[in-house]
Amino acid sequence: MEFKVNSKVLEKLLSKIIPAVPTRTPMPILENFLFDIKDGAMYVSATDLEIALRSSINIASDENLKMVIPARLLYDIIRSLGETQITFNADGGSKLKITTDTGVYNIGYSSYEDFPEIPAVSKDKEIVINGLDLKKAIDQTSFAMSKEDMRPAMTGTLFEFTPDGLRFVATDGHRLVKYINKNIKSATEEQYIIPERAISVLSKLLDDADVKIYLSKSNVSFHLGDIEFVSRLIAEKYPAYSSVIPLENENKLFVNRDVLNSTIKRMMLFSSSSSKQVKFSISNNNLEVSAEDIDHGSDAVENIECKYDAEAMDIGFNTAYVNDILNHVDDESVVFKLHSPTKACIIEPETVKETEELMLLLMPVRLNN
Amino acid sequence: MRTIFHLDLDTFFVSVERILDPSLKGKPVIVGGDPKYGRGVVAACSYEAREFGLHSAMPIRTAYRLCPHGVYIHGSHGEYSYFSKAVKNILKQYAPVVEKASIDEFYMDFTGCQNVYGSLFAFASFLQKEIWDELSLPCSIGIGSNKTIAKIGSDCMKPKGITYIMPGMEKDFLAPMPVETIPGVGKVTLKDLHSKGIYRICDITKLPQDYFAAAYGKYGIDLYRKANGSGSEYLTVEREQKSISHEKTFKDVTSKQFLKNKLFELTGKVCQELRDKGWQASTINIKLRYSDFQTLTRSKTIKPTDDDRIVFDAAWDMMMKAHTRRVAVRLIGIKLSKFKEYSEQQELFEFEEIKRRGMLRAINIIRAQYGYDKIQIGH
Repeated sequence: MEFKVNSKVLEKLLSKIIPAVPTRTPMPILENFLFDIKDGAMYVSATDLEIALRSSINIASDENLKMVIPARLLYDIIRSLGETQITFNADGGSKLKITTDTGVYNIGYSSYEDFPEIPAVSKDKEIVINGLDLKKAIDQTSFAMSKEDMRPAMTGTLFEFTPDGLRFVATDGHRLVKYINKNIKSATEEQYIIPERAISVLSKLLDDADVKIYLSKSNVSFHLGDIEFVSRLIAEKYPAYSSVIPLENENKLFVNRDVLNSTIKRMMLFSSSSSKQVKFSISNNNLEVSAEDIDHGSDAVENIECKYDAEAMDIGFNTAYVNDILNHVDDESVVFKLHSPTKACIIEPETVKETEELMLLLMPVRLNN
Repeated sequence: MRTIFHLDLDTFFVSVERILDPSLKGKPVIVGGDPKYGRGVVAACSYEAREFGLHSAMPIRTAYRLCPHGVYIHGSHGEYSYFSKAVKNILKQYAPVVEKASIDEFYMDFTGCQNVYGSLFAFASFLQKEIWDELSLPCSIGIGSNKTIAKIGSDCMKPKGITYIMPGMEKDFLAPMPVETIPGVGKVTLKDLHSKGIYRICDITKLPQDYFAAAYGKYGIDLYRKANGSGSEYLTVEREQKSISHEKTFKDVTSKQFLKNKLFELTGKVCQELRDKGWQASTINIKLRYSDFQTLTRSKTIKPTDDDRIVFDAAWDMMMKAHTRRVAVRLIGIKLSKFKEYSEQQELFEFEEIKRRGMLRAINIIRAQYGYDKIQIGH
């Protein structure tokens, strides 16, 4: 059989699929694209068994054919060609012949039978969300996912459907982020944990187009225009995060986000590399931030204007966590809701929005007095 | 020009024994082997015993022949290291750098401290008095521009002596002394030097350096330099501890359960030491020696921890994988390394290992107050 494609069109298609091709795998078959030519369309898919991507373009061909082609080789060839017309010829037994105006390239291809099937996700329940809204939810929460394998549930992001909105939750046991998109309401309460790899690939695919989400017990499928993105779900129970969110953090500290973040960045230079500890000494409308590195004999202190009228308190935090959190609050002013130096601190943007809600929780570092 | 102090505790073992048993004062006391069985050597002897010709490193049998009425003590090594540490702690209060050269010898670098402490001689006598008042231990101090000269100095006015070799006077000070005064000159070298007609240190300095280099190589050059009053000027400060380990030797064991219990005990010890230091370890090594002396080691890196259970599980797993021969076991050991400081970062969720952390802190407190044995962790 023979068919023709424009190199740029094919490159665009392959570039969408290549993220699912694993760089290192014990199963060599996964280092391939699956080409499925059927009824005048060419479907290209790839998977690493955790995530799978599939997309298609229309081609002029009457025949149907399935083949498995080395992904990196094909992608690198097509990418380097510039804009030209490419002719694919698959009649030569086990070789795929690619012809351009000036060159001929033969690539060995294998049988498609060994290529794992991409799980089908039932379309009974459909959720539609704007791509940018989903991207925002992911970008604001994904940084807090745990990087340790010990608790698999915490290595992913929780998508929780509730009557008051779609909640996105991520935590590593030291900090927690909860973001609620109030536009997407669900009659029933359901929890799904999306793995980190899926979250990072998804974040790069999203644009302002609507995304359709389908969920099953073990898989989630995102339809982004002509791309179908399927990911395995983490089949674990997410920790009962609601029970650790304090209800009575009555001491409120209001501070300018950029001012504090700039201070924190300097404190990161002075805090000891092992503990990364920074001390907040909060008193009447004054926030004193200090750090010291005993090993190197250096220390620093800064005073920041703030709004605070509760009892004075000294509380320690990990500078890296504070920095992460401040980078993810998109408001000029942030509120730290405190209870005591050993209890969780709630951090929120000061401005309350109608359609969304962001709450960050940070556990302190016990100060050695 | 540096200012180095060498502090030598006079007849240290004897002095400690006299603190423990004051009735030994004024008697010839010999710490060392058992004269009844005629084994071992004299580790230390009091000045009263030295009058009979005794000296340290002398075979205990010879000592007994020379001084049969002396008090022979086997020695309590735990006490010695306790007092040695106590001395070091006093010295650390005054000296910027302290090197423990042996259980009863310390080097201190007081370079540039003259403005703080005034006369070096008066300060040395203050240190002597401080150690005497606090611990009832006599000592001698040598002050010089390098370690060798300071050590020779501390040795030449014992007991309770202070010798200050002024900078520039080193060569003249050493000249009349016998060559064996130089640290490192032992029996063999001494005999050889005597055969060359070299008896005093000034005999060395009269000859060219090349002569010693040719005769003894690198050691010869070192000897020549020491004879001329130079020596190492920098103290070796204790290096950061890199690992914590414990091992146990048995009379050939075949019972798996016995090994498991022993490994558990060893794990408990290393983990307690780890927690006492406020550390967490991430590399676990185990050692297994069969009765035929074949020795195996295995190691594993995990998330930093100070929890007995996590360490034991990993160690036992490695031990079982390593123990493949049907041969009796002679020794097992465990070593922890790659330390990081225990983090006081608080946790959101009360997972089991986090609850255990609280328990381990409580065990630390109990053990610190009442001793290691008072509370044990079950399997």
